[in-house]
Amino acid sequence: MKTDKVLATRPHKVIYQDGDKVWKVFDANYPKTDVLNEALNQARVEETGLPIPRVHGVTVNEEGKWAIISDYIEGETLAEKMAKDPENLEKYMKQFVEIQLEIHDKTAPLLNKMKDKMSVRINSLKAVNATTRYELSTRLESMPKHKKVLHGDYNPTNVVIDKDGKYYILDWSHATQGNASADAATTYLLLTLQDPKMAEMYMTMFCDMSDTAKQYVQRWLPIVAASRLTKAIPEEKDLLEKWLDVVEYE
Amino acid sequence: MAKEKTVQVPEIIDNVDALVAKMKAMKEAQKVFATYTQEQVDKIFFEAAKAANQQRIPLAKMAVEETGMGVVEDKVIKNHYAAEYIYNAYKNVKTCGVIEEDKAYGIKKIAEPLGLIAAVIPTTNPTSTAIFKCLIALKTRNAIIISPHPRAKKCTIAAAKVVLDAAVKAGAPEGIIGWIDVPSLDLTNEVMRSSDTILATGGPGMVRSAYSSGKPALGVGAGNTPVIIDDTADVRLAVNSIIHSKTFDNGMICASEQSVTVLEPVYDAVKKEFQARGCYFLKPDELDKVRKTIIINGAVNAKIVGQPAAKIAAMAGVTVPETTKILIGEVESVDISEEFAHEKLSPVLAMYKAKTFDEALEKAERLVADGGYGHTSSLYININEKEKMAKHAAAMKTCRILINTPSSQGGIGDLYNFKLTPSLTLGCGSWGGNSVSENVGIKHLLNIKTVAERRENMLWFRTPQKVYFKKGCMPVALNELRDVLGKKRAFLVTDSFLYMNGYTKPITDKLDELGIVYTTFSDVQPDPTLANAQAGAKAMDAFKPDVIIALGGGSAMDAAKIMWVMYEHPEVDFQDMAMRFMDIRKRVYTFPKMGEKAYFVAIPTSSGTGSEVTPFAVITDQESGVKYPLADYELLPNMAIVDTDNMMSQPKGLTSASGVDVLTHALEAYASIMATDYTDGLALKAMKNVFDYLPTAYNDGNNVEARQKMADASCMAGMAFANAFLGLCHSMAHKLGAYHHLAHGVANALLISLIVEYNSADVPTKMGTFPQYEYPHAKARYAECARFCGIQAKDDDEAVKKLIEKIEDLKKAVGIKPTIKDYGVDEKYFLDTLDEMVENAFDDQCTGANPRYPLMSEIKEMYLKAYYGK
Repeated sequence: MKTDKVLATRPHKVIYQDGDKVWKVFDANYPKTDVLNEALNQARVEETGLPIPRVHGVTVNEEGKWAIISDYIEGETLAEKMAKDPENLEKYMKQFVEIQLEIHDKTAPLLNKMKDKMSVRINSLKAVNATTRYELSTRLESMPKHKKVLHGDYNPTNVVIDKDGKYYILDWSHATQGNASADAATTYLLLTLQDPKMAEMYMTMFCDMSDTAKQYVQRWLPIVAASRLTKAIPEEKDLLEKWLDVVEYE
Repeated sequence: MAKEKTVQVPEIIDNVDALVAKMKAMKEAQKVFATYTQEQVDKIFFEAAKAANQQRIPLAKMAVEETGMGVVEDKVIKNHYAAEYIYNAYKNVKTCGVIEEDKAYGIKKIAEPLGLIAAVIPTTNPTSTAIFKCLIALKTRNAIIISPHPRAKKCTIAAAKVVLDAAVKAGAPEGIIGWIDVPSLDLTNEVMRSSDTILATGGPGMVRSAYSSGKPALGVGAGNTPVIIDDTADVRLAVNSIIHSKTFDNGMICASEQSVTVLEPVYDAVKKEFQARGCYFLKPDELDKVRKTIIINGAVNAKIVGQPAAKIAAMAGVTVPETTKILIGEVESVDISEEFAHEKLSPVLAMYKAKTFDEALEKAERLVADGGYGHTSSLYININEKEKMAKHAAAMKTCRILINTPSSQGGIGDLYNFKLTPSLTLGCGSWGGNSVSENVGIKHLLNIKTVAERRENMLWFRTPQKVYFKKGCMPVALNELRDVLGKKRAFLVTDSFLYMNGYTKPITDKLDELGIVYTTFSDVQPDPTLANAQAGAKAMDAFKPDVIIALGGGSAMDAAKIMWVMYEHPEVDFQDMAMRFMDIRKRVYTFPKMGEKAYFVAIPTSSGTGSEVTPFAVITDQESGVKYPLADYELLPNMAIVDTDNMMSQPKGLTSASGVDVLTHALEAYASIMATDYTDGLALKAMKNVFDYLPTAYNDGNNVEARQKMADASCMAGMAFANAFLGLCHSMAHKLGAYHHLAHGVANALLISLIVEYNSADVPTKMGTFPQYEYPHAKARYAECARFCGIQAKDDDEAVKKLIEKIEDLKKAVGIKPTIKDYGVDEKYFLDTLDEMVENAFDDQCTGANPRYPLMSEIKEMYLKAYYGK
């Protein structure tokens, strides 16, 4: 493995390019179940036929760190294109939503269930009191159960367009199956944290193009906000707490 | 009280195992409670209500302290209401054992408890809802387990405990009310899964969980009450009612007003009154700040729920007087993108202006659709504006529509209207995804068993008001037309044979003598058609008679009845009138009232149909060939004149065919499932007359006695089957006659023996359905006929056998051939049409009264036997 070309450095992992492959190398103390799970998720999504980097191996490098080896995709992310070419933001956003709807069109019955994952997160969330956790759990419980492929971290940095205009969807570590509106709520939340205007544009387009009522996506916001709050990022705390402190009318 | 073996129940219910043990114990307690009498239950209900009432203030204080929402003084009212109004509404209502009985109809209703009720209690009205649900559970002998909201668990449990302690002291089983001490979703779900029914109050999330638990649920939902203030409304009453309601418990009641749409002409007056009474109208820049504070991503900010107006304003960075009652936003959009259009659970109100009442309705409809389907809507209006009120009621998809009433206090019932059930759980119908659309009460917590005893139908005996008979009676009877009835214009209906041969002359001479003008329609054809009847009706319409005289056999009398119908009711549809019925009292079609224009006199000239005393008539559609058999007591003639003089010249063929027809009428009426003692006497005497006199009438047409006995037999049999109806022989004969052009009497004669044998089976495949027909007894009935007609037999089997022989002998004596084949019916054509004929015979109106309910295969078998002669 060559370590001269670092593509990105993220909390707990470094991503290297080695020829036409990418090595995602995790920190030494990173739980191996998470690594294996991520590789397994990616392999399962691969089987749906979606254009994503293929997994080529899971291994331990010379330093004893776990790594996932997959395709290197040459190209520009949608985030980069949006930043470079703000005139055409709407066009890119439309493409962004179209690709997300393609994902939601797929099923992968062996993926973990989003509801289970959310439930675990809500219950582990010590930042809010038991009453709020109870309300969030009740809300989650009442949501319709679906089984669509959900990306779980779908944002414009995770979509790469190559020189032929073909797109690839990256980073499947959060992939689950469940209700598509929850995935849209996650994307809306991620975008809001960066650029609320862009988030509104996304929400409107997603609801139009998927023929979903806005309230239906909004009902997931307290839940995805709670899930995000488990990351405990200080600058996000105020917004997330505000989002999850709402009541179901009685 | 019987102590069940004790299940070890933990003190604190905070995990699933503890809960399962608790619920098991409660189910045992409920079994004991289910045996309590009304007196025991009413004492418990009284003591429990009294205890809750006494604790209304401490419980209200606890609720506000624990939840941080609402107003102590208002919660006192709610607790007070939950105890007093609920007690008052149900104190005298029967909930144990027989609660309703109608001895005449043999119907009894018995109330039973449902079992263990799961109650989900909301944070907004914790103590009052707990009191309410516990009290109605006690009154209905149910156990109730409460799943409180974590934010209100202490006060909810305290309220339940007050009721429980008082109930147990008054004799209720220990632990009949229970609760979860440390609420969690797992425990709530377990409660819902393991109970017998769920009383869920607490937002769509909880309601959806309740419905998906697989248990019957009474779930209720969100409200978004829109108010319309019409320009005819009393503005002062409207505004102050709204303020009174919207500020109640800081706007937390689900029925509370969320928006006010005001008609333009009174908009300024309404606004002025709101301002004068301490409400604050938000300025444009303040409006936006409040929007962002009250609603977050389309949901209500938990921090504003049940808070006073000034505090909410402060949270939004808006300064208003501390005593502000309501924050009002004057907004335009009713779309959900407008925060003010949502349910706000606080003293924040949207206000819209509408140019017309219709525009206001449209707004209200939209607000209901987006947030309060099925809940409550409200209208302030001058109560003389009936049309607008009806329009509003029609447009609102809400289960409560309140007029000139504060909706928080109005929706829960018995405060502003005393027929609206008092309740703290308001059903929203299918619009709100609920199983109930009314205010939930004790009736929803009871299983009602209905005990229905067997009863017999009311029966009847109906006949023309006047039946005159005896040789030479006609001219005497006709006197009545002038002397008693004062008739002036007679319309005579007959066939050309009778007319040409002078049979109408004695009638017309009499009419001349009486000074009654008349006209004669003499063109009735055999098997009269609709066209034939229409021609007669047209003539009637031109002549405008006040009496119709039908002279002739079945055809003339039937045709005259149809003309009568057309004359009196030209609008009727014959297909509708001929619609088959199972029970003449329950028929779909209501027959038109007859006799408004003309009196109907029937004078038979043959001894057969009995149409002069029956409510039946048959008419054929000349185009489709379809026969319309009409049956309704409206078709009964008003007067029947059976004069032997009119019978004397019947030809032999007619005498024999119609004579056997009379016998068939009598036998079928006697065996009918609707036969009564009243019809039996007539039927027996008629059949005996036929056996005794038909051969003589046949062989010696001038024998007056035989003719008279046959005329009487025909009329008596007619009265019998006019009330007891006929049977399968006639069903089959109708179709046989129609398909193969056999005279009606002959068709009956070919089938009657087979039918007697068929009906006499001890083990029929199926029997006829009628409450008074208790078991298959046709054989015994035929045996009675046989004995009355002089047959001696050692048992019923022999009697029936001999009766059939007697019938066959009679047929032979009057020249009836043995089989259908003998009448020249083509074999191939008979077999080709057989299945169709079988189905039509099965569906004939006469089949229903037959004592044996026939299978089509059985009908087919009999037709074949009748064709080939065994």
